[in-house]
Amino acid sequence: MSTRIETFRYDDDVVRKFLVATFVWGLVGMLVGLLIALQLVMPSLNVAPFLTFGRLRPLHTNAVVFAFAGNAFFCGAYYSSQRLLKTRMFSDLLSRLHFWGWQLIIVCAAITLPLGFTQAKEYAELEWPIDILIALVWVVFAVNFFGTIARRRERHLYVAIWFYIASIVTVAILHIFNNLAIPVGPFKSYSIYGGAQDAFMQWWYGHNAVAFFLTTPFLGLMYYFLPKAAERPVFSYRLSIIHFWTLVFLYIWAGPHHLHYTALPEWASTLGMVFSVMLWMPSWGGGINGLLTLRGAWHKVVDDPILKFFVVAVTAYMMATFEGPMLSVKSVNALAHYTDWVIAHVHTGALGWNGFMTFGMIYWLLPRLFQTELHSKKLAEVHFWFATFGMILYATAIYSAGLTQGLMWRAFDQTGRLQFPDFIETTMRLMPMYWFRAVGGTLYIVGMLLFGWNILMTWRKRPRDLGDPIAHAPALEGRYRPEPAHGGVFGLGWHRAWEGLPLTFTIWVVLAVVVASLFEVLPTFLIRSNIPTIAAVKPLTPLELAGRDLYIREGCFNCHSQMIRPLRWETERYGEYSKPGESVYDHPFLWGSRRIGPDLAREGGRYNELWHVRHMENPRAVNPRSIMPAYPGLLTQPLAFGSIQRSVDAMAMLGVPYGDAISHAESMARQQAHEVAARVVEQGGPAHLDDKEIVALVAYLQRLGTDIKAATTAASTGGADPADEGGAH
Amino acid sequence: MERITNLLGRAGLFDDTVIALVLFFLAFLVIVLRVYSPSRRRQMDAMAHLPLDDASDDAAKPGASR
Repeated sequence: MSTRIETFRYDDDVVRKFLVATFVWGLVGMLVGLLIALQLVMPSLNVAPFLTFGRLRPLHTNAVVFAFAGNAFFCGAYYSSQRLLKTRMFSDLLSRLHFWGWQLIIVCAAITLPLGFTQAKEYAELEWPIDILIALVWVVFAVNFFGTIARRRERHLYVAIWFYIASIVTVAILHIFNNLAIPVGPFKSYSIYGGAQDAFMQWWYGHNAVAFFLTTPFLGLMYYFLPKAAERPVFSYRLSIIHFWTLVFLYIWAGPHHLHYTALPEWASTLGMVFSVMLWMPSWGGGINGLLTLRGAWHKVVDDPILKFFVVAVTAYMMATFEGPMLSVKSVNALAHYTDWVIAHVHTGALGWNGFMTFGMIYWLLPRLFQTELHSKKLAEVHFWFATFGMILYATAIYSAGLTQGLMWRAFDQTGRLQFPDFIETTMRLMPMYWFRAVGGTLYIVGMLLFGWNILMTWRKRPRDLGDPIAHAPALEGRYRPEPAHGGVFGLGWHRAWEGLPLTFTIWVVLAVVVASLFEVLPTFLIRSNIPTIAAVKPLTPLELAGRDLYIREGCFNCHSQMIRPLRWETERYGEYSKPGESVYDHPFLWGSRRIGPDLAREGGRYNELWHVRHMENPRAVNPRSIMPAYPGLLTQPLAFGSIQRSVDAMAMLGVPYGDAISHAESMARQQAHEVAARVVEQGGPAHLDDKEIVALVAYLQRLGTDIKAATTAASTGGADPADEGGAH
Repeated sequence: MERITNLLGRAGLFDDTVIALVLFFLAFLVIVLRVYSPSRRRQMDAMAHLPLDDASDDAAKPGASR
């Protein structure tokens, strides 16, 4: 065995870069969050098309998830991996490519999302060229990371590294398979999956994006930085291993709990619920492991803002991971789904777990990265209290809003009718809580500004030459031999060998993720009875398809669902519940996950064309209490008839039976636009809308849910059977 | 694709998801046994100390010799 001591330097420059990016993008993402929170109480703040709620909400989520939390993960991972593996990163060039590539992605998102370029899939809104860029940058990160592991000087991979490995490989799998799409233009594509299958893929991705981008990477950070800050080892290393493997085994199955009572097969929904409930155990095991690491050191928490941040972070992790499984229980989900309760849940995790972990980590890193004292410990304390009170105020207000919404939606009066049949009534009741949310968010952002000031002033006190730290470690023996005492299958020395063989270890992680994914996802794709088709449901007309693209561009799906659950309070309010076969031609699906406005699945025919025109031009003109943004531009902007054929062709490629429209899409669209515009004039509306975007959107809205209605009418007069579910046998 | 769908639909392969459950549970059981094996206590303690073994943090702090 070699005892030669080698001297090397860590690359802290890239860590500093990620640190600064974390703060900058975090502040931007939170400010956008505050703006959209205020837009809900002051719709007049939707001042321009590119600043409307529907376009900014994905910008907020992408900025805080991928820019703030993403950069924080990279910052901590680059710092801790080098120390745990006792080597410099594999390649300085790849480190810089990773850093600048990721920032380029964020800038692209910040430009394209307000412009309305979106795939309409939550946390996967970015269009196909940016998706390719993400994949490339992720490969750069992976090569750099695994290259670093390959040339490490520490044989054993500490558990934090396991969490990083799981995050890197799983995010790659999720990103690639959820974003498979047919490009229609430079920044427009249609998901290759449709309807229930797309919903399944999206929430397989969406839930695991939370798991493997916001949870496992930060658990890796927790297992490194919490022991460092507490100056004691993790309470139970054994428990950390159980924590890791149980999360890897269970998390990947849990996604369908986002689709309870929707048109997803019930077996999938139940599967998601059961695995989500099982997640309670590893999550709390891990959280308790984190908190017990402070056993015997709690007195330090009183004086140390870093430990305070970590304690609240782990507590928030435990709260969020208690609440998540609870929300996945169907009866609870029936109340909470589509309401602000889910928004409160997400923010407990994001503000508490990800935010506080990041703050604690960066305060710990600042003196080490800038080789000077932290500018002000007192300011860090003040930051902690601002952030804590801000988070509590935010959560209290939005939990109240969510419960209020859910309970009002399902309330019946003594005569058995809906107690609040007018949706706007339930929205107005939330306004005081939305104001409190904005105050809570502002307090959190004030804390961020103090954080930024502390970073800036610490940076200013840095020595002139910030050289890379020097470290020493013995060179690693070339070939690994597991200890004889643990050899053999029953001695379980083979697992020890895995840990020394990162490639084998990684393959097993991938296998766990892929096998679970295949068992869950494939039946929905391959067994036809899971998605019964309905003979009466036909593809959208070319004009309606163009209208759907506008619906996506404006982000209407951020506030309006298109999925009526088979629950009495929903069918009473919106009409017949949604069937899987109704959305088979929807690429992407637009079921939505939140109702700031009412569900639109049966919107077609509810109002006349003129009502929709007036409503889009100025919602307050038809409903003085509406909080929806106005879209007057739709009445003046010309519709891009020239691109409709391309959209129809792409849909046809995906298997949507378009028939004649494959060669006549534009003329068909013009003909229907003329008819819609004529009806608007007949109803007393403005003339000359034939070639404007509004006619396409109105045509689409008037089509929603009408195939079933038309079939029902036909059946009652001796026509086709509306329940002709061709694939159900 | 149509044929594959029909074939797999009739094969009933996915009715046996219990196999996956058993496999995953067995794997989990093996890991628990391995982790809590008494002979590994010393090794586990050593691994838990890995983050604390690195002295470069102190070296990077102000006033430390570089």
